[in-house]
Amino acid sequence: MATKELVTKVWIEDGCIVCDACETSSPTVFEVTDDTCIIRPEALSAEFTKPLTDSIVEAAEECPVDVIKFDTVAGEAPDAPAGAPADPAEASVEKAPAAAAAKPAPVVEAKAPEKKPAAAVAGDPDPAIQSLLRAATSRGGAAAILAPDEGSAPAVKALQSTPSKDLPPDARQARIMAGTKKASEEGGVSRRGVLAGSACGVGWLALGGTTAVSGLAFQRFMMPNVLEEPDPKVRVGPADVYSSMNPGEVNEETKPDGFWIIRNEGSIAALNIICTHLGCIPNWLPNDRKFKCPCHGSGFYPDGINFEGPAPRPLERFRIMLVDGIVTVDRSKKFQYEKGEWDNPDSYVEV
Amino acid sequence: MTMALPSGGLLAASDSNALKDFINLICEPHWFFIISCAGLGVFLAGYRTLTKPAVAWIALVVFTLAYVLSALDPDFRSIIVKPDNVPITIMMYLVGFFLWLAFRQAAVNDEKMASGRPLTEAGSDDKVLVWPDLVYIELIALVFCTVALMVWTVILRAPLEQPADPSVAPNPAKAPWYFLGLQELLVYFDPWIAGVLLPGLIVVGLIAIPYMDKNPRGNGYYTFVERRFAITTFMVGFVILWVVLIVFGTFLRGPNWNFFGPYEYWDPHRPAALVNINLAQIFWVQMLGRGIPTEGFAFIPHYVIRELPGIVILVFYFLVLPGILRRTVFNRMGNQMGAVRYHLMAQLFLWMAFVPIKMVLRWTLNFKYFVAITEFFLNF
Ligand code: SF4
Ligand code: FES
Repeated sequence: MATKELVTKVWIEDGCIVCDACETSSPTVFEVTDDTCIIRPEALSAEFTKPLTDSIVEAAEECPVDVIKFDTVAGEAPDAPAGAPADPAEASVEKAPAAAAAKPAPVVEAKAPEKKPAAAVAGDPDPAIQSLLRAATSRGGAAAILAPDEGSAPAVKALQSTPSKDLPPDARQARIMAGTKKASEEGGVSRRGVLAGSACGVGWLALGGTTAVSGLAFQRFMMPNVLEEPDPKVRVGPADVYSSMNPGEVNEETKPDGFWIIRNEGSIAALNIICTHLGCIPNWLPNDRKFKCPCHGSGFYPDGINFEGPAPRPLERFRIMLVDGIVTVDRSKKFQYEKGEWDNPDSYVEV
Repeated sequence: MTMALPSGGLLAASDSNALKDFINLICEPHWFFIISCAGLGVFLAGYRTLTKPAVAWIALVVFTLAYVLSALDPDFRSIIVKPDNVPITIMMYLVGFFLWLAFRQAAVNDEKMASGRPLTEAGSDDKVLVWPDLVYIELIALVFCTVALMVWTVILRAPLEQPADPSVAPNPAKAPWYFLGLQELLVYFDPWIAGVLLPGLIVVGLIAIPYMDKNPRGNGYYTFVERRFAITTFMVGFVILWVVLIVFGTFLRGPNWNFFGPYEYWDPHRPAALVNINLAQIFWVQMLGRGIPTEGFAFIPHYVIRELPGIVILVFYFLVLPGILRRTVFNRMGNQMGAVRYHLMAQLFLWMAFVPIKMVLRWTLNFKYFVAITEFFLNF
């Protein structure tokens, strides 16, 4: 049978970037958690890792930050299928550096029978240790390990007195994490915290103040310096020009001023040219006797009532009056039919 | 999407006039809409055959031929040579091509699925590198777009008009081509609905799709059989309610926003009389034979009583119907999606369906608004 280097122990040093590569290559050995990667408890036994040598070595090679380390021992390639014997030459070439590195290090298996807790934690498949590690790998497990109570397994209690450097890397990580969390929870008022907090506050205040001031400046900028407002009152001509129109007729001459003069039975009125749908300018179609909007096709009767298309309400009318016999339209006051305002005497002039 | 725009340029004058009249006739809004929907339905039903390359080539040739022959007609030509409308021609070809492309791949995959062979995408990597795969394509697209835009600006004149006059609107006043669908919606809805609510729902709804649709089928591979409802709904929204409405707005809307056939002269003085009526009018006057209520009752203002039938219909449509659908046609989907997702989906779906419903009601019944509380700008 061929001999080759077999992995007896695998561990992860600090610096894992949680990339999932190792778990993909060797899911039975590695487990990537939310913030680090750990060795599955079962995989802490040499018997477990030996057959998985290839995948562990592959995982170690794939780890982008090279934090996966392992010890090896020369051994027989287990279960090499008869048809495809492992190539000893290749294996030895490949594993040479690892083997060289591993040589001086004590083979872990040799240490296993000694019952010193530190050593046990480092490599023994002892069930107590496994339960301990299982606790460490579950959420909140770190707390159970770091603050053991009466009910804790003896191994857990023993762990308390184990110095950090003798812990396996994942337990060490857990201890560090728990320590950090505790420190940040206890908090308290430190000089540094006060300084940082007040600097932060000043920064936000400054940002808010600057934004507010520039917002005000922007608003001022958007306001015109000169307001050009045409006189809302327009004198459109002597009354007899309009009283001679036939009922239903529309005078388009005043359209540039924003209204049509329309002749009803016994009165004239000024009709706003803005479509009540979306504000286009309808056209007067003399043949059809209607106002028709070119945007969405709303139609209005000559008196401004809507009858086709989407416009929801009639055209608006402006205030109209006679000043010294001159028809004058005041565009600052509107009268809406749906509010019953067309009855208002300001909205028409009797002729 | 091949529109119904064939032409009779090759035929004798009288024949071709008869054909043009016929086409003008079937382009009447309701016919145009029905034919488009039927076309989409046929396409979705027969997509396995209709996307065969030979069929697609024939469709392309027939469409192009019809388009070119139509261009012999002066009225049609005046529409398509307008620089504003060049994108429409491009759009029709592009939409047709991409619809074909997607459904072709879906058809191939669906056939493979039916016969148990691996899909086209099987074994392909589900990750693609940004550099160089994506960036290269983007670079090439960028170069092509820049060149195309330059050629475009050199060849086509900007469609400028006389200086703007606040008291004159161009007739017809058309939105940019990509908004013609929305402008068409404004014909049927209050500005708040068609200009604000519906576009907002379109955007929000498209964003919400990935959150509502948990169904993993069709992820990473083309298929139609596995996602019939989703794809059909999207196709109706995109092809019918967007693309077809754009085509409609371009070719069939003329002066005064009246309807004109594609080969019809745009006569601004052509009389077109139609009187649109609200549901209140239909219900109180035509059905009950009495006047529209103008009096309030106790604390209820008169407009609520006046619009009661519309309010009842809308409440039923938007609040009761989702529950009924959940128990009937959407039963399985509702269970899979969960209540919140389902009701979101149902609201978006019903709003989408509301659009063609109102359009059809307008064309057939001259229907205006279900609820028209103009006093408060509440018109649905
Ligand atoms: S491969 Fe290395 S970096 Fe990536 S998860 Fe595993 S140990 Fe961490
Ligand atoms: S703006 Fe007049 S119909 Fe829409």
